[in-house]
Amino acid sequence: MNGYAGAKWSGEVPRYGLLIAIAVVQLLPIVWMIISSFRPADEIFRHTSEISWRTFFPTTVTFDNYLALLSGDFPVAVRNSLIVAGATVAIGVVVNSLAGFAFAVFDFPFKRTLFVLVLASFMMPFEALVIPLYTLVRALGWTDSFKALILPEVANGLVIFLFRQFFAAIPREIIEAARMDGASWLQIYWRIAMPLSGATVATAALMIFILQWDAFFWPLVAASSPDYVVVQVAIARNADFEQANWGQMFAATTMAVSVALIPFILFQRFYVRTLTQSGLK
Amino acid sequence: MRERAIVPFAFLALALIGLAVFRVVPIFIAGIGSLFSVSLMGDRVFVGLGNHLSLFADPGFWQSLRVTLIFNLLINPIQVVLAFILAMLVFRPSPGIVFFRTAFFMPMTFSIALTAVLWSILLDPSLGLVNSILAELGFERQPFFRSQNQALGTMIFIATWKGVGYWMLFLLAGLNGIPKDVYEAAALDGALGWRRFVNITLPLMRRPLVFVLVADTAINFLFFAPVYIITNGGPSEATNLLMFQAYQSAFAYLNMGRSLAISTIILLVIAIFAVIEFRFFRERKDV
Repeated sequence: MNGYAGAKWSGEVPRYGLLIAIAVVQLLPIVWMIISSFRPADEIFRHTSEISWRTFFPTTVTFDNYLALLSGDFPVAVRNSLIVAGATVAIGVVVNSLAGFAFAVFDFPFKRTLFVLVLASFMMPFEALVIPLYTLVRALGWTDSFKALILPEVANGLVIFLFRQFFAAIPREIIEAARMDGASWLQIYWRIAMPLSGATVATAALMIFILQWDAFFWPLVAASSPDYVVVQVAIARNADFEQANWGQMFAATTMAVSVALIPFILFQRFYVRTLTQSGLK
Repeated sequence: MRERAIVPFAFLALALIGLAVFRVVPIFIAGIGSLFSVSLMGDRVFVGLGNHLSLFADPGFWQSLRVTLIFNLLINPIQVVLAFILAMLVFRPSPGIVFFRTAFFMPMTFSIALTAVLWSILLDPSLGLVNSILAELGFERQPFFRSQNQALGTMIFIATWKGVGYWMLFLLAGLNGIPKDVYEAAALDGALGWRRFVNITLPLMRRPLVFVLVADTAINFLFFAPVYIITNGGPSEATNLLMFQAYQSAFAYLNMGRSLAISTIILLVIAIFAVIEFRFFRERKDV
């Protein structure tokens, strides 16, 4: 791997061998799951206990697992997750970008202290606070509500940090010129800073969306009634070994993963660029 | 720019309220709530450090703490080193590299709950695909989650399968941030291969590596879903991680005081680890 000046092919063979081996470990389970989701229930494990070409190539393709899934309770869970993730993204992008703007543009008392606290908040993951937060949410009477699922995840230290880093790189002259023209700070934020920060907004939206779409522990604790059940909890609840319908389970998992994967692939480019620019590298 | 203080705080207000209510207040709730116990009559009784002391007298807690520490001492270095290797492997553009990058981060689109569900069936001793492949290759079938000796290692494996691509992205961003001319200058000095890695890449990657290590540690101390979904802490307490203890204390034994006492201890341990990790890397500044 000694790089730059044109590596010889002999160096590339072990590198590609390693790349392929890791890719197989990462992808094989996913491929098998997706294929299994299109198989009749009684065929899934027949081709697993005896490895053959059929294990990875479906001979009977059926959409029954998906149809059964859509006629059951799963769509409610998908709807709930989409509401929770969508609302958190919408509110979160605004709230965190406003805070990032303040940290980037203004001087004010306790600025350093507050910024350190923001950084500390993303070093201290939310899950550590699930149980104490539950006692708070119960005291507020919010258990089993969208409020309980959405509001705790709106303010996000990492997203504030990313916005601050981006806004801090906007040339001062632009902001000062806008001030001279009589623009208010809110106008500068909304008309100048935000339109420039497309990649950061995309990254922030993706981060928040996936955070909420994947959430398991907090929804399990805070909103366990069937009306508010989210995708991850719904799938885990059905993963009962004795009576699980694995075909439907794999169909549900495939759908849950697709929703996270599509925006991720679309925005991957912005994601890495934003992380690089932020100095979070 | 100095402005009347009201303007910046107006911009900050919503985020600060959110962080104060949902991050800072729960820390105090954990600290204060862990000092109380609920009596049989349903009254809250101040017990001081009673919950902590009864934890320290409880062998189950020590077992759980031990498992959690072993888990973290293994999984965090494994994940950071592997993520770094992956980032180095896919950093240089070459044919098909986009495919491999995508393949490596693909599992991160699985939530930890989905990861648990998928792997619990893949690793099933009788039905699972992994054992069928092992048998096909002439190895013995393995019990994985059903074995006291393998369960924790299997947890580490599935968490790494899911997480390593995510940390790879951060390290990839770090490698992208190293200016090209640094390498060019090194090449002129004849620093190539391993020497280039040790003298240039590694020191310049210190910041992203520390970030990944600290963030990864904080997440892994709170490892929960696979224990809840697959093993329930077993077999024989082998996967009884602290977060699962905290959950069970609150929702299975309805002992909120014990649960909050465990939460305070987890918060403390994460903070201690973060400080150690920052220190460890700071001292090596001059490498």
